Amino acid sequence: MIRNSALSFTIALLWIVIATSTCAGIVMIAGASPMSVAQALLQGAIGTQYNISNTLVQTIPLLITALAVVIAFRAEMFNIGVEGQFLLGAVLACWAGQLSVPGPLAIVVTLVASMLGGALWSLIPALMLHFRGVQIVLSSLIMNFIAVQVVAWVVRGPLQESIREYPQSDPIRTAAELPKVIAGLQLHSGIWIALAIALLFDVLVRNTVFGQHLKAVGSGSRASKTMGLPVSRILVTTVLLSGALGGLAGGIQIAGVTHFLADPYSKGYGYTAIAVALLARLSPIGAIPAALLFGALTSGSSAAQSAGIPVVVLQVIQAVILFSILGARFTANSLRNKLAKGATA
Amino acid sequence: MSQPVLSIHNITKTFGGFVALNDVSIELHPGEIHAVLGENGAGKSTLLNILAGITQPTRGDIKLNGIPVAFSSAVDAAKAGIGMVHQHFMLVPTLSATENLILADMVENRAWFAWPAGPVRRRIAAQAESFGWDIDLDARIDTQTIGAQQRLEILKALQGERKILLLDEPTAVLTPGELPGFFATIRSIAATGTAVVIITHKLDEVVSVADKVTVLRRGRVVNQCLTADTDVSNLAREMVGDASNAFAVLTAVKQKYTASDNGNIRVELSHAAAISGDSVLRQGSASIQEGEIFGIAGVDGNGQDALAALLTGNTILHEGSLTIGDLVITPHRKCTPQDFLRNGVSYIPADRQTDGLVMSMTIADNILLDRVSEPPFTKFGMFIDTVAVKRFAQSEIERFDIRPADAGCIVSTLSGGNQQKVVIARAMSRKPRVLVAVNPTRGLDVGAIAYVHRALRAATAAGCAVVLISTELDEILALSDRIAVLFEGRLSETVPAGVSKVDLGHLMGGAIN
Repeated sequence: MIRNSALSFTIALLWIVIATSTCAGIVMIAGASPMSVAQALLQGAIGTQYNISNTLVQTIPLLITALAVVIAFRAEMFNIGVEGQFLLGAVLACWAGQLSVPGPLAIVVTLVASMLGGALWSLIPALMLHFRGVQIVLSSLIMNFIAVQVVAWVVRGPLQESIREYPQSDPIRTAAELPKVIAGLQLHSGIWIALAIALLFDVLVRNTVFGQHLKAVGSGSRASKTMGLPVSRILVTTVLLSGALGGLAGGIQIAGVTHFLADPYSKGYGYTAIAVALLARLSPIGAIPAALLFGALTSGSSAAQSAGIPVVVLQVIQAVILFSILGARFTANSLRNKLAKGATA
Repeated sequence: MSQPVLSIHNITKTFGGFVALNDVSIELHPGEIHAVLGENGAGKSTLLNILAGITQPTRGDIKLNGIPVAFSSAVDAAKAGIGMVHQHFMLVPTLSATENLILADMVENRAWFAWPAGPVRRRIAAQAESFGWDIDLDARIDTQTIGAQQRLEILKALQGERKILLLDEPTAVLTPGELPGFFATIRSIAATGTAVVIITHKLDEVVSVADKVTVLRRGRVVNQCLTADTDVSNLAREMVGDASNAFAVLTAVKQKYTASDNGNIRVELSHAAAISGDSVLRQGSASIQEGEIFGIAGVDGNGQDALAALLTGNTILHEGSLTIGDLVITPHRKCTPQDFLRNGVSYIPADRQTDGLVMSMTIADNILLDRVSEPPFTKFGMFIDTVAVKRFAQSEIERFDIRPADAGCIVSTLSGGNQQKVVIARAMSRKPRVLVAVNPTRGLDVGAIAYVHRALRAATAAGCAVVLISTELDEILALSDRIAVLFEGRLSETVPAGVSKVDLGHLMGGAIN
């Protein structure tokens, strides 16, 4: 045990050194000072109350979409269409948020509409899988491109602002907005929803019948089918759940941050979510720090960018950090395996 | 007698501790058709791979025209005049016949470019004509029939004046209608002085085409003779083994079946037909009663998979009718394995590691794989009652003596015998009225075999009807109360347990009734 944790620590240290020196090298090649870039990044991510709030605001959609990916990937349903489901969720939330629904119901209606939007968008690939065996990885991706066009159309058509000037919608009603956590800051109460879903999913995968079925089906074993599990139903449910979550992320973005729909709408949350989910090793709880890391990187980068650091350099730094984490994980695993082999031999 | 063109002496091949071939010797003479017969896992493929230079023997010599040789690769063997046709064709579907043959030639000679196709095409056309074949050499492979593709594979294997042709399960891909043509082909090739080796587990093929036969069982040669000196039933018995092994001891397990014809019928098959993958059940009729073990014998690949899938809801019924437990199945009615399980039909599949178990899950997870969603293992309909699950799994572990006795142990770490006990524990824990068991002792040691047999017998004592589908003839004989034989997808008439091995051998070789 002691040797194990000492080993993990050494590997982590080694990779931190590798990551830091690589980043420093890149920044110097780009002609800037590594220290000032690091400071700008850190400052942008957690330097002020405002920046911390911004990091968390970036984290919310990443966390929810990552959970959508986690649940689908656990069943080996490679739903890479979370981006499209996010967009459809945003579209329906924008529509429902403008309905005159009494008081506190407005927010509920808005979010439920967004979940329906996402679920419906994932229903199409799910049905294609169920009836024709079409691979989710392909069909869900294609749905993303259609979703982008749907957004482009609605903000020029049915949902365009009443003055019909720009390709954007009218804002949703104030009653349908998610309340801010602290007055004056952007951070909205979607953060509680995101955290609650992460905890709920943790219980779902560990302690429920559905989670157990997910595990059996996700192992890829034919035994699930031969031994009488309703495999098809489990897979369709999983895809719909994943889609509903993707949609909810879009709805929360409308209700919590932008309050209206514009074209283009997404910053690629649905794609980044795949990286977040994989970084979290498909653990719902692990998705929280993973999403936070990405949120901080996004927030820090935009601050550093306004401090004059080229966006390309920032993107390279983000990539180096990701690769270093994966590299550290890989080194630790292979070393541990070697040690285990050595112990049995 | 002529000098053998290829001979192997005392070949032994081991993989780790496993002996795939043990002291095997074979001589091949020019113009002779030699069949190598054996069950799956008997060592046929290993033997063929050694002859084709794909694997090298652990011990023993290979002589080509009396001169010792050592092949280090398939190309070596090919250069020495040995051509092989694999069971799964190695043709590029989008190229024409001529292009495929040129490509094969390039690979063998490590050539970087090909000569103009004309001469090659003329040469192949001449060769095809000499066999009396009419082949379109310019059509794409994927537009040609399987029979034509096989002829092309043979032409490919015979390129460059090869004198030895190895065929791996050549008839597996052919329809019955294509067989006579295939046999004629083989004879015409042999007539040109080529030695032909056919690997097969189909007995009638051996008798209809081969001059000599070698029967392999568990890596050893059990018989080597002229085909004229033997018959299908003898070969069947030699292939599946004698009573001199573990099963004889277990006959004691059997309690004489006394139920009369008026027992409750649990499975009623009537002219049933079904397909599962490449396994076909053409026609099966049988009535199986409670309290009996109904043995279904037969050489592997005669429709066992389709029958098992049909009896467990893993495939649909195409024709005929099936009543199993309380389920009445009509043709094309959609049914799931779940429906069958809930109606008292449990299943011990042939391949426990892929069909029976989720290897990455625990013993408890596997025992309750299909039942965690049912009371008493759930709380509020959706949460798993982990205490109830653990208690139940632990009691089953004790009842079936699964080791290690730890419900949280991952199944992939268990021995084969204990994995099988987990499958049996799950099957029995539903208190089934029908139990379908397919090769339930394959790959197990003697102790575990005895255990499985006792468990099946115990199931009948509880009133269950057991359908035992096994390719081990001795297992069928040791356990069954009544027996039927599957041959080419057809189920024979039911015979009583006292049937002689010779008679069963006849049935397994296709002499239905």
